[in-house]
Amino acid sequence: METTSLAPSLKNIAPQQEYLLQASILDANRDVLLHRLRGLCDNAESNFETFADYEAVYVLSFLESSAVQQSQAVSFRVRHALDDPEAPDHIRYIGQAELGDRARPTLVRACLDVACSSNVREFLQEMGFKLDYDCVMKGYFFHKGRMKVTVYKIFRLLQPGKTDSSNWEPLSMSHLVELSVVAPLGQEQIGEDMKNFAEQLKPLVVLEKFDHRRLHN
Amino acid sequence: MQAPQSKEEKQLETSLDDLLQRVRELKQGISSFIYKLENDYQNISWPNMMEHFGVLSSGLSTTKRLLKAEKMPLLRNYVLFPILLSPDRDPHLEKLTEGRVLAFNHEVVPDYLRTKPEPEVEEKVQLLSVKASSITPEVAQKQLTALNKITSNILDIINASSDEWDKDSNQKNVVPSTSSPQDTLTLISAITKGSKLRRPDPTSMQQCPPMGPTQQQQMQQQQQLQPQKPMPVVGRVPSTIKTNIKAAATSHPYQRP
Amino acid sequence: MGVSCVYMYPVPEGRSGAHVVEVLQKQVETIGGVKMGSFVVDCESYLSIMLSVSKTLQILHNTEYPASCFAVLDSGATLVADTLFNGLLSHLKAYYQARKGSKIESKGNRYQLADFVIKIGSVTLSGSFKGILVEVEYCPSVIASECWNLMKELLQSLIGNIAESPPPSLKMKMDEIYTPAMTMLQYLEHFNNFRKAAAVSQPPR
Repeated sequence: METTSLAPSLKNIAPQQEYLLQASILDANRDVLLHRLRGLCDNAESNFETFADYEAVYVLSFLESSAVQQSQAVSFRVRHALDDPEAPDHIRYIGQAELGDRARPTLVRACLDVACSSNVREFLQEMGFKLDYDCVMKGYFFHKGRMKVTVYKIFRLLQPGKTDSSNWEPLSMSHLVELSVVAPLGQEQIGEDMKNFAEQLKPLVVLEKFDHRRLHN
Repeated sequence: MQAPQSKEEKQLETSLDDLLQRVRELKQGISSFIYKLENDYQNISWPNMMEHFGVLSSGLSTTKRLLKAEKMPLLRNYVLFPILLSPDRDPHLEKLTEGRVLAFNHEVVPDYLRTKPEPEVEEKVQLLSVKASSITPEVAQKQLTALNKITSNILDIINASSDEWDKDSNQKNVVPSTSSPQDTLTLISAITKGSKLRRPDPTSMQQCPPMGPTQQQQMQQQQQLQPQKPMPVVGRVPSTIKTNIKAAATSHPYQRP
Repeated sequence: MGVSCVYMYPVPEGRSGAHVVEVLQKQVETIGGVKMGSFVVDCESYLSIMLSVSKTLQILHNTEYPASCFAVLDSGATLVADTLFNGLLSHLKAYYQARKGSKIESKGNRYQLADFVIKIGSVTLSGSFKGILVEVEYCPSVIASECWNLMKELLQSLIGNIAESPPPSLKMKMDEIYTPAMTMLQYLEHFNNFRKAAAVSQPPR
């Protein structure tokens, strides 16, 4: 029997948190890291899994921007796989990063991933969103259980909107390394698991809880 | 049969007993270790293994110490003289040696009762000692100092390079050369805040609506940003100044038709 | 998944909606329709606040596509997303707010008749009955122009001359590949009509 109303679980979303550790590795040392990761992660026998995503960040904010209102600005990150045209586009909302106390091993932030149709960019702009910035991310990903490791390079687009690789310019001589888990609120054990995993990558990369307040625009 | 024992004989007997006891213990240690290696090798751990070796080596050194002890008579002064060799099997001997030696015959005796090296070895040693004695003390002294010099030189070289290695590995621990903190900062601020990724046009549009005085600012801003932006912007600057709306339109890659 | 047409079936003066629905259901069963569960299509409006131009965002769900959420803007632009899209909306509270009393839904039985799926829904706007929507879906095809005549025949035997021509929003897209979003647009059009009618008969206090 079908239920007459939509399943409540689909309408009430359990809030998901992203647990995150970050670091970077110089391009020259990338392969050493990749081989170590392949040994540590699941599917060690298969080839590296690669990805190439175009990410555009759209922001919705009030026109008359006072500092208070600016802080209410909402950003959606729209991702689109360049290497898999069949894959749906993807909106990601990321909340403010919480560092928590010193004892907490990882950074934690609210996180919501929504797959959507490919007209999402036009749709968001019609809703009043503006393109804030965009980039291409290309690299490798690994998983171990529910932990996800990405090693990728960030490229800026020389000409807006053109995503073919001749239009890419690397942002630095390094790859960004991220170790993350998306899970429901309050599963602090994950942080410990991640810390232990990160320990095995030292001293090649030192994954750490990166204070985003240290960043400047 | 037993003749009255002299003091010396008594001492020999007791010390031999001691020695036998030690050797037996040593033998037991070895055999239990071999047993473990052969039958229980799955459960043997490295520390466990080291422990066994430790026990054996301490057994060996106590035996050695026993031989050097003062009470121990000089065993080399005693002569063992085989009176009778027999090719027949000797069950008593077999029992004593736990089956290793079956008969006291011509084959085994030279091996078991040997007190000197084999003749070929003896010859070689002889040759060497003759050679050594033929050298005058002065020459020997010279050679000795030369050897000492070489040895100490090599030692110096080894010490120097080991110091260097230590320093190297220390340096690695202090500054990991596999990543650059500056790059980490750049990349993380790019993906979280969009630094170095944001295009100047839309932001300046957003921040300063097109009004007379602000246009100048905008122009300055554009020019300041120019150096870090590659070519395309250079071509677009003039149009931005003329009509901002147009500039905004070109800057949005996902225009609706 | 196939081509769907959604029509409003008028309730004659002096008859109760429930009664008319019952008559329609009997009719479907008479021609061989077998009841296969029930269905709901719902819609809620979100209004933009503090943006220079006022905008309306309609959020629709359909039990036929239980893991999807359809978002429609004034221009008709439709975004198909996971139901998690609702979670994104909660982060937009400062910009888009749900309009009170805008929740409208069409709810009823779902029938299977050979290659057709027939849905007879009672429309309620914030709890009160507003009318009847009949949806007929022809599953084997995704090009409306190729199956319209077939659908028309079935529709006319059910609801008569109301189904003389394809629904207006479908007319322009008869030769395109049909998508679930087109069904949702048809529902939205009817929902908007019901809302307008309700606003006229019940002027704002």
